[in-house]
Amino acid sequence: MGKILENHSKQLIRQNGVPAPESWTVSSAEEAYGVVSKVGKPVVLKALVPVGKRGKAGAIKFADTPEEAREMTETLLNMTVRHFPVENVLVEEKLDIAEEWYVSITLDKNRQLPVIIATTEGGVEVEELVRQRPEKVAMVHVDPFMGLMPYQAKEIWSGLGLSGKPLVQATAILGKLYEIFIKYDAYILEINPLVLTQEGKVMAAASVMGVDDTALYRQPELEGMVEVGSERFWRPLTQLEKDMIAVNDADYRGTARYTEMEGGDIGFMCGGGGGSLLSFDALVKLGGKPANYTETGGNPPEEKVYGLTRGILSKEGVKGLYVAHNITNNTQIDVMARGIVKAVKEMGIDPEQFPIVVREAGVNDAEGKRIFEEAGITYYGEEVTIEQAAAKMIERMKEVYACQS
Amino acid sequence: MSILIGKESRIVIQGITGREAAMITRHTLDYGTPVLAGVTPGKKGQDVHGVPVYDTVREAVEKHGVNTSVVVVPPAFALDAVLESIGNGINVIVVTTENIPQMDVIKMLAVARKEGVHIIGPNTVGMIDPGNRIKLGSIGGDNPERCFVPGRVGVISRSGGMTAETSWMVKRAGFGVSTSIGIGGDSLIGTNIKDLLELFEQDPDTEAVVTFSEPGTSFEEEAAEFVKNGGFTKPLISYVAGRFTESMPEGTVFGHAGAMISGDHGRPSVKMKKLQEAGAHVVDQYDDMIDVLRDVLGEKVRGA
Repeated sequence: MGKILENHSKQLIRQNGVPAPESWTVSSAEEAYGVVSKVGKPVVLKALVPVGKRGKAGAIKFADTPEEAREMTETLLNMTVRHFPVENVLVEEKLDIAEEWYVSITLDKNRQLPVIIATTEGGVEVEELVRQRPEKVAMVHVDPFMGLMPYQAKEIWSGLGLSGKPLVQATAILGKLYEIFIKYDAYILEINPLVLTQEGKVMAAASVMGVDDTALYRQPELEGMVEVGSERFWRPLTQLEKDMIAVNDADYRGTARYTEMEGGDIGFMCGGGGGSLLSFDALVKLGGKPANYTETGGNPPEEKVYGLTRGILSKEGVKGLYVAHNITNNTQIDVMARGIVKAVKEMGIDPEQFPIVVREAGVNDAEGKRIFEEAGITYYGEEVTIEQAAAKMIERMKEVYACQS
Repeated sequence: MSILIGKESRIVIQGITGREAAMITRHTLDYGTPVLAGVTPGKKGQDVHGVPVYDTVREAVEKHGVNTSVVVVPPAFALDAVLESIGNGINVIVVTTENIPQMDVIKMLAVARKEGVHIIGPNTVGMIDPGNRIKLGSIGGDNPERCFVPGRVGVISRSGGMTAETSWMVKRAGFGVSTSIGIGGDSLIGTNIKDLLELFEQDPDTEAVVTFSEPGTSFEEEAAEFVKNGGFTKPLISYVAGRFTESMPEGTVFGHAGAMISGDHGRPSVKMKKLQEAGAHVVDQYDDMIDVLRDVLGEKVRGA
């Protein structure tokens, strides 16, 4: 899943026929001053960061003059909104708002269908509204083959009390939004607020869009707009994480995912989506502090295992390495062993002084065992469970570092 | 006996000429599972480890009466492959492909629901019935016996690798499995835990079920509701991994794509509580399932 910043999502919806205020992207206070001087109207300034609820975070401001715009842009550019430093600001014409509405299109994972959620109540959180006054919220599922029929869009707004020109406009806009949702393989397209201006025009004042990164192969138009996998992170990637993405992307075979934890002293080199979760839980439960999370699997080549292991071991404060995997269906343990041992040797690590515990079983594990043991690394196969191996790891950490202190 | 697959399974592999599919075919044949046909457009007349290849599923149905398909095609072709199978009367489809665009998955699942077809996956390691030596998908690799021995415990796992590990825990406890199923790591899948519990309830040769779960989705919450309402009456032993993720910032994803926590929704602790309240044996440590299995199945034997 990948998020798209508002400057891009606005551009996409506008070019597909949804009315939205004019906007400019600026990266300096002076630029903002220039834009607002030219526009000659009050503007809205929005920090371009991939997080929601920016208003609450103080990341949306209003300016009436170019001077105000310069000052506020400066403030925004110095902000970090939920871990994301603000690098760009979206400058938009301020709308004369008569009413604020809400509409979103997402995938309902339970019903396994696209769902439209809409309300004409303004300035409320839709989640709250669903709980407290569900009659004010329309929730309509869409047949994925038939799509949204104009009459269905009309019924949604009519049911919420619209009529006359606003009904006609809102109906057309919702139809277009659904087309955009499908066209770009979005998993969310939210317009909050959809506004009715004083002049009686329906417009998308703010947009949130996220697209399915597995479908990017058929979305050449989105090139450069999406941070792939950005849904997985709550903060910008660290340098080490970026390096590990490069390691993963260098070869299509197998996966190597890496997430840096704050602090920690145990390098975590585990595999299988579920196997990694279990291994991490096991260490934490025993009082261990993993320095990172990782997932490897799908039979990665030696180079990828090596690169990932090097990355894990290079983090400051790492004083041991725990290697575990569920019993593998296709991942070759001998290949894993060669990659890990190569990294350990190259970094001049002595397993006597630096605890390494391995629990790897599955394809070619006899050869894997030989390679690990030849390198002086504590190896366990299927005779030991993942949780038992985690306990050995914690024990080894205590042994080695108790002696030194 | 087992669920969904067995002696009556007549298997076709879609995309059989691909590198991974050919390997799966070899492992499946080595295990003793008959693979009657393969399908790759434009490759009719070839064979893969002796399995004849056709251009269409229709030909495979006409020549071999296949009723079960394993889909091993690239993501861009998965929707069409599944619709082709459904259109030709196949009623069990194991979709191994990972990273299929979500809207394509929504479409294939919508058709499957309408036609009453069972889709396992997508993004699944597959399923296995060791009693009849039938395996669909990459499950067990080249050595299924290592983890999967015949027995009377059903295994349901949201993680492919942990399907093997959990079945091996069952073996370690001294038992075997009736059917082990990796349901797929995504949040949009064809057959969830509740659906499988319903089938295991009907299966006279399954005495207990073990589940391996992860954060995210409502699969466990739904399963708990189903058990609570009397839909599943056999012993259920459940482990939910990823409790550490609850102390991480909201929206973080660890593990499979389905493992996303948002608000209270999908939290391991909530899943555990609901399963426990429904009467499941929720184990705190994964290794505890060995003792619980011995307790539960020991009782069952004594009671019989």
